[in-house]
Amino acid sequence: MNLFLQQLLNGVIIGSTYAVIAIGFALVFTVLRVINFAHPDIFMVGMFGGLLCAKYVSSNFFVVAAASALSAGLVGLILERAVLRPLRGRDALMTLIATLGVGIMLENGVAALISPDVVAFPPVISRQPIDLGAVSVSKPQIVNLIVSLISLAIVSYYVRLTPYGRATRAVAERPDVAAAFGVNVSRVSQVAVTLASMLAGCAAVSVGLLYGNAWAFIGLAYGIKGFICILIAGNRYFEGVMLVALALGILEALITGYLSSTYRDAIAFLLLIAVLYVRPNGLFGSYST
Amino acid sequence: MFGQWESLVIFTLLNVMLTVGVYVTAMSGQLSLATAAIAGLGGYAAAILTRNFGWPFVPAILMGAVVGAFVGAFIAAVTLRMRDFILKLTTLAFGEMIAVVAFNIDYIGGANSFTGIPAYTGFWNCLIGVLIATYLAWRFDGSRLGFASRAVRDDVVAAAATGISVLQVRVVTFALGAAICGAAGALQAHYMLIVSPQELGFFASLNFIIFLLFGGMYVLWGAMLGATVLTILPELMRFTTEYRHVLFGLIITVVVLFRPQGLIPRIPTGVSGRFSRAGRRRASKLSSAENDQWRLG
Amino acid sequence: MTPLLAISDLHVAYKAVPALSGVSIELFEGEILVILGANGAGKTTIVKSILGLTNIQRGSVSLRTDGASHDLRKLQTHQIHRLGVTWVPEGRQLWGAMTVLDNLKMGGFASDPTETRQRIEEMLDWFPRLRERQDQLAGSLSGGEQQMVALARALIARPKLILMDELSLGLAPLVVAEVFQLVKKVNSLGVSVLLVEQNARQALRIATRAYLLEVGHVVESGPAAELANKQSVQDIFLGGHS
Repeated sequence: MNLFLQQLLNGVIIGSTYAVIAIGFALVFTVLRVINFAHPDIFMVGMFGGLLCAKYVSSNFFVVAAASALSAGLVGLILERAVLRPLRGRDALMTLIATLGVGIMLENGVAALISPDVVAFPPVISRQPIDLGAVSVSKPQIVNLIVSLISLAIVSYYVRLTPYGRATRAVAERPDVAAAFGVNVSRVSQVAVTLASMLAGCAAVSVGLLYGNAWAFIGLAYGIKGFICILIAGNRYFEGVMLVALALGILEALITGYLSSTYRDAIAFLLLIAVLYVRPNGLFGSYST
Repeated sequence: MFGQWESLVIFTLLNVMLTVGVYVTAMSGQLSLATAAIAGLGGYAAAILTRNFGWPFVPAILMGAVVGAFVGAFIAAVTLRMRDFILKLTTLAFGEMIAVVAFNIDYIGGANSFTGIPAYTGFWNCLIGVLIATYLAWRFDGSRLGFASRAVRDDVVAAAATGISVLQVRVVTFALGAAICGAAGALQAHYMLIVSPQELGFFASLNFIIFLLFGGMYVLWGAMLGATVLTILPELMRFTTEYRHVLFGLIITVVVLFRPQGLIPRIPTGVSGRFSRAGRRRASKLSSAENDQWRLG
Repeated sequence: MTPLLAISDLHVAYKAVPALSGVSIELFEGEILVILGANGAGKTTIVKSILGLTNIQRGSVSLRTDGASHDLRKLQTHQIHRLGVTWVPEGRQLWGAMTVLDNLKMGGFASDPTETRQRIEEMLDWFPRLRERQDQLAGSLSGGEQQMVALARALIARPKLILMDELSLGLAPLVVAEVFQLVKKVNSLGVSVLLVEQNARQALRIATRAYLLEVGHVVESGPAAELANKQSVQDIFLGGHS
C-alpha cells in the first residue's frame, strides 16, 4: 500500500511536469497548427538560464524562475518571428524540420558553450525529503506540482476569460474567420508562442531543482512525452492535455514501481497507438474534425 | 580502396539507399518515421541468419528485405484510416516501440547489442545495393502503380473517387520502401558488425526525412542528392569542431526557410489538376477542412 | 457614381487550376448585389479574394470608404475587416466550441466594447431564439439557428458591407425565405450586401442588381428584374442546383 501511494505521488509529480511541457506544445500546436520541435529545447534554455542565474547572480527562487521564464520567452519570441511566421501556411512538415534545425542549434550551442555533460543545478531549494508517514515528498516536488497547477490556471484563465484568449481559441478553430473579424493572427501567434515558452522556462527550473541537474540534451525525452500527451488528448481542450499527462505520469510510475523500468517508455507509445486507433482525433476531440 | 575515406563512402551509399526507401514510401504520401527501426529489424534478421545459422550473405540480405516488407505492409494497413499528420506520428510510435522491444529481448543481445556479425559488407555490395534500389524506385516511379501513388499522395479522396484502391497502393508502396530499408539495414549490420537498439529510434529515422526533404521529395535523384550532401557535409565540417552541429542545425533551418521545396523542386505535371477537378465534383460531400481551399464556387 | 466595391479583371488560380479568369464586378452603396452561378463557378473565390484569403494572380480589388479608395490587395484580412467589411461564410463557420454569446462577442472583437455590448443586446432582440440559447455551444444549434448566429455575428461591428456566401445552403425552404427577408431588413438599414447564391429564384427577388458567373467568367449582368427573364438564368432555375 505504501508503495502504491508513494508511486502515485511520484507519478503525479512527473505527470505534472509532462503536463506543463505538453501545454506549451499544445498552445502552439493548436493555435498555429504546427509542431514546434524547438519547444523542448526552449525548455532546456530556460533551465540553463535559471542555472546560470542561480550560480552567478542570485539564489532567490523567484529571481531564478524569472530568469528562466525570460530567457525561454526571449528565445520563443525570436523563433516565432524568424522561423514560425515565415513558414505559416506551408506544409507543417517544413516547420517541423526547421524547428528541429533550431533545436539542434540550441542543444549543441548550449553543449558547446557550457558543457555537453550533465551539469549540477544549484540547490536553490533543499532536496531533503519530508516524511509524511505513508509517503515522503520533497520540497522541489511540491514546487513542481504548484508550478504546474499555476501554469494550467494561467493558460486556462487566459484562454477562457480574456478577449485575447477568446481570439486565440477562435484562431485555433477557424483562423480565416477569426481574421475576417479583425483578429491579427500573427500577433495572436506571437503571444501564444511567447507565453508557452515562458511557462516552459518556469517548468524547467522546477524540474532542474527536482533532479538536481541540467543537461543540454534533456529536451528530447520530455518533448516526445509531452507531444504524445497532446496527440492522445486531442487539441480541443487544454485541460484534457493536462489530464492525460497526469495519467501518463501516474501510469509510468506505477509500472516502474510494480514491474520494471525498462518498459516505461514504451507505455506512452502503446497508449498512443491504442487511443489513436479507436479515436483518431484524440480522447477529447480536436478542431480539425 | 578508399583508405581513410572508406567508411564515409560506405555510409553515404547506405544513407542514399535508405533515403531511396523512404522516397518510395513517401510517394504515396506516407512519410515514415519508422525507417531506422525497419532497417534495424532487417539488420537483426540478416545478422541472426548469418551469425547463428551460418547463412550466406545474399540470402540473408534478402530476408532482411522480406522482414522489412512485412513490417511495412503491416504499418500501412494499420494506419490506413489515418490522415497525414497522425499517420507520420503513428509510424514514429511504431518505430519507437520496436526500438524499446529490441532493447529488452536478450536473444538479440538486448541493451548490449547484437555483436559478432561477420564482416561481409564492402564497397561493391553497397554500390550494387544502391543501384538495385535506385532501379526499383525508378521503375516504380514510371509505372502505373507509381502514378496511382502520386494520386493518392496529392488527394486521397479524389484518387479513391477515380477507382484507385488506396489500401493496395499504400500497402505496396510502404512494403517496397521498407524492403529497401530492410536490405540496407542488413548491409549496415554486416559493416558495423553490431546492431544496437539505440540506433533504431526516432532521431535516426528523422535524419532520413531530412535528407529527403532537403534534397526534394518529389524527384528520385533529389532524394539521393539530399542524402549524399547531408552525409558528407558534417564530415567536411570537422574542422569547426564542437560548433559543427550547431552549423548543421543552422543549415537545415535556413534551407527550409529559403528553399522549402528542397534542392530539386517538383516538376509540375497535369496530374493533380486533372484529378482535383473531377475528384472535387464527385467527392465534394466528403471534403475535409484541408481540402476547403480547393472548393471552387 | 463611384462604386463602394470595385473588382477589376480578377484572376485567381489554385495551384494549376484557374478559378477566376478576368472577373470585373461593381457594387454600389446601399444595394443588394447578387452573384449567381452553379457549383464550381467561382463565387466563393470572389468573396475570399475580397477578404484577402486567396492568392490573386492579377487584377485589382478596391474599397471606397471615408472618402478614400483602399487597395484591398495590399491589406491583410484583419485590416480589411476594420474598414467595415464583415463576412457570413459558406456553411456558417461558427466557432462550434464556443457559446453563442462568445461567437457574438468575437463579432465585435475589433470594435468598441460598450458599443459591442449594445449591439449584442440589439441582436438578441432581433433573434429571440438566440437569447434563449445564448449560453449554448454554437455547434449544437440547428442549421437555421446557426445561420441566425452567423448573420448576427456579422452585424455586430456595424459594417458598411456584408459578404454573404450561400445563405440558403442546407436550410429548409421556409427558413430560407425568412433568412432572405432578414437580408432585406439589414439592407434597409443602410448596409450594402454582396450575396453569393445558387438559389437564383429567391435571391433575385430581393436583389438590386446581379451578375451571373460561369466557370470563372462573368456572362451576364444587370438589374435583377432583367436578369430574371434571361434564358441563361432560367437555365439555372432548372438545372443548376446540386
